[in-house]
Amino acid sequence: TMILRDGMCPGLDEELVRELRAADIKTVEDLVSSDVEEVAQKCSVSYKALLAVRRVLLAQHTAFPVSGADLYEELLSSTAILSTGNPSLDKLLDSGVYTGEITELSGGPGSGKSQMEALQRIHIFHAFDIFSLLSYLYSLPATIQQVSVGGGSVKAVIVDSVSAIISPILGGKQNEGMSLMIQVAGVLRRIAKDFNVAALVTNHVTRGGGGGGGEVQAGLGLSWSHVPRTRILLERTESAGTGHCSVRSATLIKSSRQPCHIKEQFDLQWWSTSKEGSAAKRKLDDSDSR
Amino acid sequence: MAESGAQLFARLEPRRSLKHIEPRLFPDDGGPDHGEVVELHGTEGTGKTELLYHLLCRCVLPAAAGGLETDVVFVDTDYSLDILRLVSILDSRLSAAGGLEEAELRSCLSRLLVVHCSSSSQLLLTLHFLETAFSSRPSLSLLLIDSISAFYWLDRCEGGASVSKQEEKLSKCSELLGRLLRDYRITVFATSHAIRRSYRSPDAPGSSSSSSSSSCSSSEGERPYLCRSWQRLVTHRLLCCRAEAGGNMAAAAGGGNKEQRRRQVFSVHCTSSSSSSSSSSSSSSRLKAYRSSSFYVTDGGVVFI
Repeated sequence: TMILRDGMCPGLDEELVRELRAADIKTVEDLVSSDVEEVAQKCSVSYKALLAVRRVLLAQHTAFPVSGADLYEELLSSTAILSTGNPSLDKLLDSGVYTGEITELSGGPGSGKSQMEALQRIHIFHAFDIFSLLSYLYSLPATIQQVSVGGGSVKAVIVDSVSAIISPILGGKQNEGMSLMIQVAGVLRRIAKDFNVAALVTNHVTRGGGGGGGEVQAGLGLSWSHVPRTRILLERTESAGTGHCSVRSATLIKSSRQPCHIKEQFDLQWWSTSKEGSAAKRKLDDSDSR
Repeated sequence: MAESGAQLFARLEPRRSLKHIEPRLFPDDGGPDHGEVVELHGTEGTGKTELLYHLLCRCVLPAAAGGLETDVVFVDTDYSLDILRLVSILDSRLSAAGGLEEAELRSCLSRLLVVHCSSSSQLLLTLHFLETAFSSRPSLSLLLIDSISAFYWLDRCEGGASVSKQEEKLSKCSELLGRLLRDYRITVFATSHAIRRSYRSPDAPGSSSSSSSSSCSSSEGERPYLCRSWQRLVTHRLLCCRAEAGGNMAAAAGGGNKEQRRRQVFSVHCTSSSSSSSSSSSSSSRLKAYRSSSFYVTDGGVVFI
């Protein structure tokens, strides 16, 4: 809700704000939804002037419509695909992690989530609760702009893990927890889109069905499931006998580009053994900075 | 508010009817007409977005490619518009029609107008803002909202303990939509995310035999949770769900990397309430018609079965 204040726009002075308030018009929405002719009469204000104020306020508070053609042009020139460093995973992701979107990795402990990202974080922020996470995310655009002024560019934002921050607040006071979760989703999406950043989030897993006998599912429930554009579920594979196994399986559970449920297997050791081989490539990634 | 002559003309000039936008989805001869609202509802992964894009493409494609050549406004409430995916679908439809020209793709995309919203207050203002667009462009016949449920939790929390306060903003949006539908004779399609999985009771043996293969029971349906003002607006409700393809979806576990030829099938159950003489009075007197259809998804978009 945006409360009408004098100086908000040309033509909206203190006197007008007072008159409008007396006519029970206190917010921008109130004014925009009102019958301007009627209000102008009631407040003994020029109809034309009020109409102009309405028009300016409307333009100030709504996003300007963009043509699909322009959006597409822009996307073509700004979308980047970041390799995860592992060809099997890249294949699953249709080349890699796309900027402008949220990609989610879910898995239990030891499933390889954190290693999978293997993206060197130059800037790490520790958030211990959702409020500090949210306020950090809201201030991120300014940080990103600062980085680009300094000649660098931010290509990825990683929230590890989004479920650790969100699960504690769900369940109890249903409403607030869900609302905060949706706010996190909103700001992450906006940052991803507006700054051409790949947003990566990690999630825990649960066992579906009653009594915990069902299949492994990504956590945070239904309302979160709509949020990421792409979702991958990581699991340990059941290999016969051997104790220490570094092979994991990744299943694509949501994607707009590939048929779902395709699986890939990959070896966690890939990153350690190929460190030298892809050092040159890594260097390139590093200089792009995160 | 006084209207100029041009505005009056633009308002009254008949807009493209979307009645025949996709006959396979709606009851016979019962597609979405002027002033009607289609809601696509379902959980994640039930094909809603693909279906939405299918309908969108049908609108913006040229007649030569089977389109209606009409303009669309897309209100994106959760930054979910996937332009690259849309382009894939348009590409494949254009090339199927023989001859893919860069210019054609561009002209399809320029029929699409996209606006972002990040709150229901902003949605209300945006709809007011769009009124100017409708009054000056008679070629704009469709308003798409993806999704109308995006702000549900935000509004619920802001409204505190009072349900009417929680629903106030969406109600206002719905009322405004109602007026735009009547005044400009546009059509509205909106998606809404399901927030609760509907579980079929285990002790309902061979209940609906035809829909036993789908994960949603057509008899119970999904309980609507959005405010009543919105529910009243909806003419056609499309309930989307995944069809269990003979329970063998997961069986390919040992099958290695062979491309899953067993495609995921989606079902859509349409319930249309015919609004007789646009009276918003007793909903009990509204006639209902039904239609069920199935489809799977390819690179080129939705393919009906």
